[in-house]
Amino acid sequence: MLLEVNDLKTYFQTDDGIVKAVDGVNFSVEKGKTLGIVGESGSGKSVTCLTIMGLNAKKNTITSGEALFNGENLLTAGSRRLREIRGNDIAMIFQDPMTSLNPVHSIGTQLVEAVQLHQDVSKKSARARSVELLKAVGIPRADRRMDDYPHQFSGGMRQRAMIAMALVNDPDLLIADEPTTALDVTTQAQIVNLMKNLQEEFGSAIIVITHDLGVVAETADDVLVMYAAQVAEQAPVEKLFNRPHHPYTWGLLGSLPRLDADVDRLVQIPGQPPSLLRPPSGCRFHPRCPYVFEKCKTVDPPLVGISDDPSHLQACHLDEETKDREAAKLLATTMAQAS
Amino acid sequence: MAEDLLVVENVKKHFPVTRGIIFQKQVGAVKAVDGVSFSVKSGETLGIVGESGCGKSTLARCIMRLLDVTDGKIVFDGRDISNLSRPAMRPIRREMMMIFQDPYASLNPRKRVGAIVSEALEVHKLGTATETKRRVQELLEVVGLNPEHYNRFPHEFSGGQRQRIGVARALAINPKLIVCDEPVSALDVSVQAQILNLLEDLQQDFGLTYVFIAHDLNVVRHISDRVMVMYLGKIAELAPKVDLYEQPKHPYTGALLSAVPIADPARGRARQPIVLEGDVPSPLNPPSACNFHPRCPRFQKGHCDVEDPPLYPFGDGHVAACHYPLERWPLGADEFRKPGTAGPPAEPSAVS
Repeated sequence: MLLEVNDLKTYFQTDDGIVKAVDGVNFSVEKGKTLGIVGESGSGKSVTCLTIMGLNAKKNTITSGEALFNGENLLTAGSRRLREIRGNDIAMIFQDPMTSLNPVHSIGTQLVEAVQLHQDVSKKSARARSVELLKAVGIPRADRRMDDYPHQFSGGMRQRAMIAMALVNDPDLLIADEPTTALDVTTQAQIVNLMKNLQEEFGSAIIVITHDLGVVAETADDVLVMYAAQVAEQAPVEKLFNRPHHPYTWGLLGSLPRLDADVDRLVQIPGQPPSLLRPPSGCRFHPRCPYVFEKCKTVDPPLVGISDDPSHLQACHLDEETKDREAAKLLATTMAQAS
Repeated sequence: MAEDLLVVENVKKHFPVTRGIIFQKQVGAVKAVDGVSFSVKSGETLGIVGESGCGKSTLARCIMRLLDVTDGKIVFDGRDISNLSRPAMRPIRREMMMIFQDPYASLNPRKRVGAIVSEALEVHKLGTATETKRRVQELLEVVGLNPEHYNRFPHEFSGGQRQRIGVARALAINPKLIVCDEPVSALDVSVQAQILNLLEDLQQDFGLTYVFIAHDLNVVRHISDRVMVMYLGKIAELAPKVDLYEQPKHPYTGALLSAVPIADPARGRARQPIVLEGDVPSPLNPPSACNFHPRCPRFQKGHCDVEDPPLYPFGDGHVAACHYPLERWPLGADEFRKPGTAGPPAEPSAVS
């Protein structure tokens, strides 16, 4: 197991109280596999990954649990050791390519810096390595574009430059936080393809954080659905999409407009995501859940495997018969129209 | 048949590029919108899709007369509004409103919700203070907010709620036409579904006409009656939505459709995406003739780069600007680079 996260909790101290941004999350990522994390804004997707990378502000953050990377707990590692790991063994692609590159340094300078930080090589060979990577991510005339500044690149090219920078030291784990959200569909398709090809070539593990279920369906091997700082459902990708077991997942799938079918009315999840300052009692989804019953309001459902498939985890009190029926109903409406 | 509420005829919007400080010499023009014609019927939703920089938003701003057109005609409700003066435009502004993309930037943070929603009512001097207040509270209720939110500030609301305020503001003066410029692209899918459902309900209740701009093809299919695909300031294809999504004719439409990820692992991974190379060219110096030809998988040298394709008709109001339209859909994996298998339709005649 490349990365194993056990009972990860991240709390932020604020003036209004403690915000439980991540509250007991477990998952693991194997080498060469892709894990997709989906959920609404504020569900704790990004904070989970920032915590693993040790990028939260130290001052007001309380972290517990463990994040074992090749057996080493990243949460207790010192800042010097973390600096060695970041950008070298674990690299991150940030959401917004417009703001995550430094505007006053050329793309080449930033790439060369990334290489020389972790490898004891000459500037010349660092530059050669950078050009090679820019070519690999599909930037035309890479040797000349090296001296361009970020503003001379289009959005898609900047995102590619970010990916090149993340890959420059052959990381074992790549964390991509909404890598395609700011991009057009055609560029998104290019980036998704690129990430798949690079994974085949370098065998890295990838964690993709996104709210686009389409991207998850096409890239991920396993999917983690997060709701209000906790995991609602976790399953291999086919199982999650073909037999979703949590009402929140149904809501997400049902609220998606389809390209290949006309749905009269989208299913909407009523209400807003809860405040993490004072999350609802019991199951956190219960105020928005159409299937809510008494037990949901008081007892927090544990994340357990479904009876005939221990690899499919879900946190919901509903009985499995109802779930299978509802999931089948949902799929019938979306799939029948599609075929 | 409903009447055309909005007719756009050969509209062009060129932004001059100048050089020099005192004597500003024009050295070129960004052709943001370059000869676009279409019409929108009363009660209909026209979706406009395209990549960033294809002129969608500029077109919307031209329709709203927030920008003056360089050339062409915009006819709204039977009146040519493309050259009206500001005072003459004022009564017409009551009939058209806009919903903006970014619910964080489009609401004034220093004004209360009541003032934001009632601003149009006050500008057009509709009703007394009490009437205005009652109307605003009614509107807040219509869009699914609590009328007690009247005195709150925008920062107290989430993104979805803010977009509802934007919708309430657009509805305040009972417009006929609402231009929605990417109204849901900043929102989560669950909230997006709420706003889309709301827009549909309002259309039914108030008989609204929408021009709906988005880059998300799923959303556009869901909400539109007809869809227009734009590329570099021109119309690539315009068709009723089912025709466009199930029988696309323009290779660009095909490429866009094939690039959308499908939320179903089995079908999603089986699809054959047509990955377009490179980025959208600069509208400052667009390619010759068919402006899609440098990226087009069906490019024919000596034809596509010489002769500008007119909008060929394919029946049922389906038009596409391509000399070598797609014959069938979806395409097989190897079908995309076969030259010369089809020419233009039997009797090529341009649609005005």
